[in-house]
Amino acid sequence: MKLMRGLLLIGAVAVVAACDNKVDKTVDRGWDSKHLSQLQAGIWVDPNGCDHWIIDDGFEGYLSQRLDKYGKPVCSGVAPPGVATGPFKKGSPVKDQI
Amino acid sequence: MNKRRTALGGIAALCVAAVSFAQPAAAQTQRTVLGQEYVPTIWVDPDGCEHWVMDDGAEGYMSPHVNRQGIPVCRRGNVCGVMNSDQFFATDRYYINAANSQRLKEFFQTSTASAFIIAGHTDSRASDEYNMRLSYNRANAVAKIAKSSGARVIDVRGYGERMPRATNSTAAGMAENRRVEIICLR
Repeated sequence: MKLMRGLLLIGAVAVVAACDNKVDKTVDRGWDSKHLSQLQAGIWVDPNGCDHWIIDDGFEGYLSQRLDKYGKPVCSGVAPPGVATGPFKKGSPVKDQI
Repeated sequence: MNKRRTALGGIAALCVAAVSFAQPAAAQTQRTVLGQEYVPTIWVDPDGCEHWVMDDGAEGYMSPHVNRQGIPVCRRGNVCGVMNSDQFFATDRYYINAANSQRLKEFFQTSTASAFIIAGHTDSRASDEYNMRLSYNRANAVAKIAKSSGARVIDVRGYGERMPRATNSTAAGMAENRRVEIICLR
Protein backbone atom coordinates (compact mmCIF):
# COMPACT_ATOMS: atom_id res chain seq x y z
CA MET A 1 0.00 0.00 0.00
CA LYS A 2 2.84 2.34 0.97
CA LEU A 3 4.71 1.52 -2.24
CA MET A 4 1.59 2.18 -4.26
CA ARG A 5 1.17 5.61 -2.66
CA GLY A 6 4.81 6.45 -3.33
CA LEU A 7 4.48 5.52 -6.97
CA LEU A 8 1.37 7.62 -7.29
CA LEU A 9 3.18 10.60 -5.80
CA ILE A 10 6.14 10.25 -8.17
CA GLY A 11 3.68 9.97 -11.04
CA ALA A 12 1.94 13.10 -9.88
CA VAL A 13 5.20 15.07 -9.75
CA ALA A 14 6.13 13.87 -13.22
CA VAL A 15 2.78 15.01 -14.61
CA VAL A 16 3.20 18.48 -13.09
CA ALA A 17 6.68 18.74 -14.60
CA ALA A 18 5.27 17.82 -18.00
CA CYS A 19 2.73 20.62 -17.97
CA ASP A 20 3.75 23.06 -20.58
CA ASN A 21 1.17 25.76 -20.10
CA LYS A 22 2.46 28.99 -18.54
CA VAL A 23 3.92 27.90 -15.24
CA ASP A 24 5.30 31.20 -13.95
CA LYS A 25 2.22 33.29 -13.17
CA THR A 26 4.30 36.15 -11.81
CA VAL A 27 5.47 37.65 -15.10
CA ASP A 28 3.70 38.94 -18.17
CA ARG A 29 5.19 37.49 -21.34
CA GLY A 30 5.18 38.64 -24.94
CA TRP A 31 5.44 42.19 -26.30
CA ASP A 32 4.54 43.85 -23.05
CA SER A 33 6.67 41.56 -20.90
CA LYS A 34 7.47 42.64 -17.36
CA HIS A 35 7.26 41.48 -13.79
CA LEU A 36 3.75 41.99 -12.45
CA SER A 37 4.94 44.28 -9.67
CA GLN A 38 5.39 46.98 -12.37
CA LEU A 39 1.67 47.35 -13.05
CA GLN A 40 0.16 50.86 -13.10
CA ALA A 41 -3.22 51.31 -11.52
CA GLY A 42 -6.12 53.72 -11.68
CA ILE A 43 -9.28 53.83 -9.61
CA TRP A 44 -12.61 52.36 -10.58
CA VAL A 45 -15.57 53.42 -8.47
CA ASP A 46 -18.19 50.73 -7.91
CA PRO A 47 -21.96 51.41 -7.79
CA ASN A 48 -21.74 51.83 -3.99
CA GLY A 49 -19.16 54.56 -4.45
CA CYS A 50 -16.19 52.53 -3.21
CA ASP A 51 -12.75 52.39 -4.82
CA HIS A 52 -11.06 49.51 -6.62
CA TRP A 53 -7.64 49.47 -8.21
CA ILE A 54 -8.08 48.93 -11.94
CA ILE A 55 -5.28 48.00 -14.32
CA ASP A 56 -5.58 47.51 -18.05
CA ASP A 57 -2.36 45.76 -18.95
CA GLY A 58 -2.86 45.28 -22.66
CA PHE A 59 -4.17 41.74 -22.81
CA GLU A 60 -4.84 41.29 -19.14
CA GLY A 61 -7.15 43.28 -16.94
CA TYR A 62 -6.92 43.41 -13.16
CA LEU A 63 -9.32 44.65 -10.51
CA SER A 64 -8.75 44.56 -6.78
CA GLN A 65 -10.41 46.25 -3.84
CA ARG A 66 -8.88 49.34 -2.27
CA LEU A 67 -8.84 48.80 1.50
CA ASP A 68 -7.65 51.02 4.30
CA LYS A 69 -5.27 49.76 6.99
CA TYR A 70 -8.21 48.46 9.05
CA GLY A 71 -9.57 46.41 6.13
CA LYS A 72 -12.55 48.65 5.39
CA PRO A 73 -13.39 49.64 1.81
CA VAL A 74 -12.10 53.05 0.80
CA CYS A 75 -14.91 55.12 -0.69
CA SER A 76 -12.98 58.28 -1.50
CA GLY A 77 -15.45 59.98 -3.81
CA VAL A 78 -12.65 60.56 -6.32
CA ALA A 79 -15.14 59.92 -9.15
CA PRO A 80 -18.86 59.16 -9.54
CA PRO A 81 -19.99 55.51 -9.33
CA GLY A 82 -19.26 53.54 -12.49
CA VAL A 83 -16.32 55.69 -13.54
CA ALA A 84 -12.66 54.69 -13.93
CA THR A 85 -10.01 57.35 -13.55
CA GLY A 86 -6.23 57.59 -13.45
CA PRO A 87 -3.33 56.08 -15.39
CA PHE A 88 -4.65 52.53 -15.54
CA LYS A 89 -3.90 52.11 -19.26
CA LYS A 90 -0.38 53.49 -19.08
CA GLY A 91 1.39 50.29 -18.04
CA SER A 92 1.47 48.53 -21.39
CA PRO A 93 2.54 49.56 -24.92
CA VAL A 94 -0.23 47.31 -26.24
CA LYS A 95 -3.24 49.47 -27.13
CA ASP A 96 -6.70 48.24 -26.30
CA GLN A 97 -9.38 48.40 -28.99
CA ILE A 98 -11.98 49.38 -26.40
CA MET B 1 -2.27 19.07 -36.48
CA ASN B 2 -5.53 17.83 -35.06
CA LYS B 3 -3.81 14.84 -33.51
CA ARG B 4 -1.27 17.08 -31.88
CA ARG B 5 -4.00 19.23 -30.45
CA THR B 6 -5.72 16.19 -28.98
CA ALA B 7 -2.45 15.07 -27.46
CA LEU B 8 -1.85 18.50 -25.96
CA GLY B 9 -5.41 18.51 -24.65
CA GLY B 10 -4.72 15.21 -22.99
CA ILE B 11 -1.62 16.57 -21.28
CA ALA B 12 -3.52 19.63 -20.15
CA ALA B 13 -6.25 17.43 -18.69
CA LEU B 14 -3.60 15.46 -16.82
CA CYS B 15 -2.04 18.67 -15.56
CA VAL B 16 -5.21 19.57 -13.76
CA ALA B 17 -5.18 16.40 -11.73
CA ALA B 18 -1.81 16.55 -10.15
CA VAL B 19 -1.38 18.58 -7.02
CA SER B 20 -0.96 16.68 -3.80
CA PHE B 21 0.15 18.43 -0.69
CA ALA B 22 1.64 17.29 2.54
CA GLN B 23 -0.54 17.57 5.62
CA PRO B 24 0.89 18.53 9.00
CA ALA B 25 2.72 15.68 10.67
CA ALA B 26 -0.16 15.11 13.07
CA ALA B 27 -2.53 14.21 10.26
CA GLN B 28 -1.17 10.99 8.87
CA THR B 29 -3.61 10.69 6.02
CA GLN B 30 -2.59 12.18 2.72
CA ARG B 31 -5.16 13.98 0.61
CA THR B 32 -4.95 14.39 -3.13
CA VAL B 33 -6.45 17.57 -4.56
CA LEU B 34 -7.49 18.06 -8.13
CA GLY B 35 -5.90 21.34 -9.08
CA GLN B 36 -3.24 23.24 -10.89
CA GLU B 37 -0.41 25.16 -9.37
CA TYR B 38 -1.09 28.93 -9.32
CA VAL B 39 1.65 30.73 -7.45
CA PRO B 40 1.02 34.48 -7.17
CA THR B 41 3.38 37.36 -6.86
CA ILE B 42 2.84 40.63 -5.00
CA TRP B 43 1.73 43.93 -6.45
CA VAL B 44 1.92 46.94 -4.15
CA ASP B 45 -0.81 49.51 -4.70
CA PRO B 46 -0.17 53.27 -4.52
CA ASP B 47 -1.36 53.25 -0.88
CA GLY B 48 1.45 50.80 -0.07
CA CYS B 49 -0.73 47.70 0.45
CA GLU B 50 -0.11 44.31 -1.10
CA HIS B 51 -2.26 42.40 -3.59
CA TRP B 52 -1.91 38.86 -4.89
CA VAL B 53 -1.49 38.93 -8.66
CA MET B 54 -1.20 36.23 -11.31
CA ASP B 55 -0.88 36.31 -15.08
CA ASP B 56 -2.12 33.15 -16.72
CA GLY B 57 -0.93 34.05 -20.21
CA ALA B 58 -4.21 35.48 -21.47
CA GLU B 59 -5.94 36.26 -18.20
CA GLY B 60 -4.89 38.25 -15.19
CA TYR B 61 -6.12 37.81 -11.63
CA MET B 62 -5.81 40.00 -8.57
CA SER B 63 -7.06 40.05 -4.99
CA PRO B 64 -6.10 42.06 -1.89
CA HIS B 65 -3.56 40.45 0.43
CA VAL B 66 -5.24 40.38 3.84
CA ASN B 67 -4.32 38.30 6.86
CA ARG B 68 -6.73 35.80 8.36
CA GLN B 69 -8.31 38.54 10.44
CA GLY B 70 -9.08 40.52 7.29
CA ILE B 71 -6.45 43.16 7.93
CA PRO B 72 -4.58 44.22 4.76
CA VAL B 73 -0.86 43.56 4.58
CA CYS B 74 0.80 46.90 3.85
CA ARG B 75 4.44 47.92 3.47
CA ARG B 76 3.73 51.49 4.38
CA GLY B 77 0.50 52.99 5.60
CA ASN B 78 -1.06 56.15 4.35
CA VAL B 79 -1.54 57.38 7.88
CA CYS B 80 -0.27 60.92 7.52
CA GLY B 81 -0.92 62.16 11.00
CA VAL B 82 -1.07 60.56 14.44
CA MET B 83 -2.33 62.96 17.09
CA ASN B 84 -1.21 62.12 20.57
CA SER B 85 -4.42 62.39 22.60
CA ASP B 86 -2.58 63.61 25.69
CA GLN B 87 -1.55 66.73 23.81
CA PHE B 88 -4.96 67.46 22.38
CA PHE B 89 -7.50 66.27 24.94
CA ALA B 90 -7.97 66.32 28.70
CA THR B 91 -8.65 62.93 30.32
CA ASP B 92 -12.11 61.64 29.36
CA ARG B 93 -12.81 64.77 27.31
CA TYR B 94 -13.06 65.43 23.61
CA TYR B 95 -12.94 69.22 23.55
CA ILE B 96 -10.05 70.73 21.55
CA ASN B 97 -8.81 74.14 22.68
CA ALA B 98 -8.25 77.11 20.39
CA ALA B 99 -4.48 76.72 20.04
CA ASN B 100 -4.67 73.04 19.13
CA SER B 101 -7.58 73.73 16.85
CA GLN B 102 -5.41 76.24 15.00
CA ARG B 103 -2.59 73.68 14.69
CA LEU B 104 -4.99 71.15 13.20
CA LYS B 105 -6.43 73.70 10.78
CA GLU B 106 -2.93 74.43 9.50
CA PHE B 107 -2.27 70.71 9.09
CA PHE B 108 -5.40 70.20 7.01
CA GLN B 109 -4.91 73.33 4.94
CA THR B 110 -1.33 72.46 3.97
CA SER B 111 -2.02 68.78 3.26
CA THR B 112 -2.09 67.75 -0.39
CA ALA B 113 -4.46 64.83 0.23
CA SER B 114 -7.79 64.84 -1.55
CA ALA B 115 -9.71 63.18 1.30
CA PHE B 116 -9.27 62.07 4.90
CA ILE B 117 -10.36 59.21 7.17
CA ILE B 118 -10.24 59.98 10.90
CA ALA B 119 -10.05 57.18 13.47
CA GLY B 120 -9.94 57.60 17.25
CA HIS B 121 -8.31 55.13 19.68
CA THR B 122 -7.95 54.78 23.45
CA ASP B 123 -5.92 52.66 25.86
CA SER B 124 -7.57 49.71 27.59
CA ARG B 125 -8.58 51.41 30.84
CA ALA B 126 -12.34 51.86 31.43
CA SER B 127 -14.95 49.74 29.69
CA ASP B 128 -14.86 48.81 26.03
CA GLU B 129 -18.20 50.53 25.49
CA TYR B 130 -17.02 53.75 27.11
CA ASN B 131 -13.82 53.73 25.07
CA MET B 132 -15.70 53.17 21.83
CA ARG B 133 -17.78 56.26 22.56
CA LEU B 134 -14.86 58.42 23.73
CA SER B 135 -12.68 57.56 20.74
CA TYR B 136 -15.54 58.30 18.36
CA ASN B 137 -16.26 61.64 20.02
CA ARG B 138 -12.59 62.59 19.76
CA ALA B 139 -12.41 61.57 16.10
CA ASN B 140 -15.52 63.62 15.47
CA ALA B 141 -14.01 66.67 17.15
CA VAL B 142 -11.03 66.40 14.80
CA ALA B 143 -13.29 65.84 11.79
CA LYS B 144 -15.26 68.99 12.59
CA ILE B 145 -12.08 71.06 12.48
CA ALA B 146 -11.01 69.34 9.27
CA LYS B 147 -14.32 70.14 7.61
CA SER B 148 -14.26 73.72 8.81
CA SER B 149 -10.86 74.17 7.19
CA GLY B 150 -12.19 72.91 3.87
CA ALA B 151 -10.94 69.32 4.01
CA ARG B 152 -13.04 66.46 2.66
CA VAL B 153 -13.60 63.88 5.41
CA ILE B 154 -15.01 60.63 4.01
CA ASP B 155 -15.23 58.62 7.24
CA VAL B 156 -15.03 59.13 10.99
CA ARG B 157 -14.57 56.14 13.31
CA GLY B 158 -13.96 55.23 16.90
CA TYR B 159 -12.11 51.96 17.49
CA GLY B 160 -11.88 52.33 21.26
CA GLU B 161 -9.27 50.01 22.71
CA ARG B 162 -9.68 47.38 19.99
CA MET B 163 -6.80 48.41 17.69
CA PRO B 164 -3.86 49.01 20.02
CA ARG B 165 -0.58 50.15 18.52
CA ALA B 166 1.48 49.18 21.56
CA THR B 167 1.13 47.13 24.73
CA ASN B 168 -1.38 48.26 27.33
CA SER B 169 0.71 46.83 30.17
CA THR B 170 3.10 49.78 30.36
CA ALA B 171 2.39 53.47 30.84
CA ALA B 172 4.36 54.34 27.71
CA GLY B 173 2.44 51.77 25.67
CA MET B 174 -0.89 53.10 26.89
CA ALA B 175 0.13 56.65 26.02
CA GLU B 176 0.96 55.49 22.51
CA ASN B 177 -2.44 53.85 22.20
CA ARG B 178 -4.27 57.05 23.12
CA ARG B 179 -4.36 58.65 19.69
CA VAL B 180 -6.36 59.92 16.75
CA GLU B 181 -5.12 58.69 13.38
CA ILE B 182 -5.58 60.70 10.22
CA ILE B 183 -5.45 58.71 6.97
CA CYS B 184 -4.67 60.76 3.88
CA LEU B 185 -6.03 59.65 0.52
CA ARG B 186 -4.43 60.89 -2.65
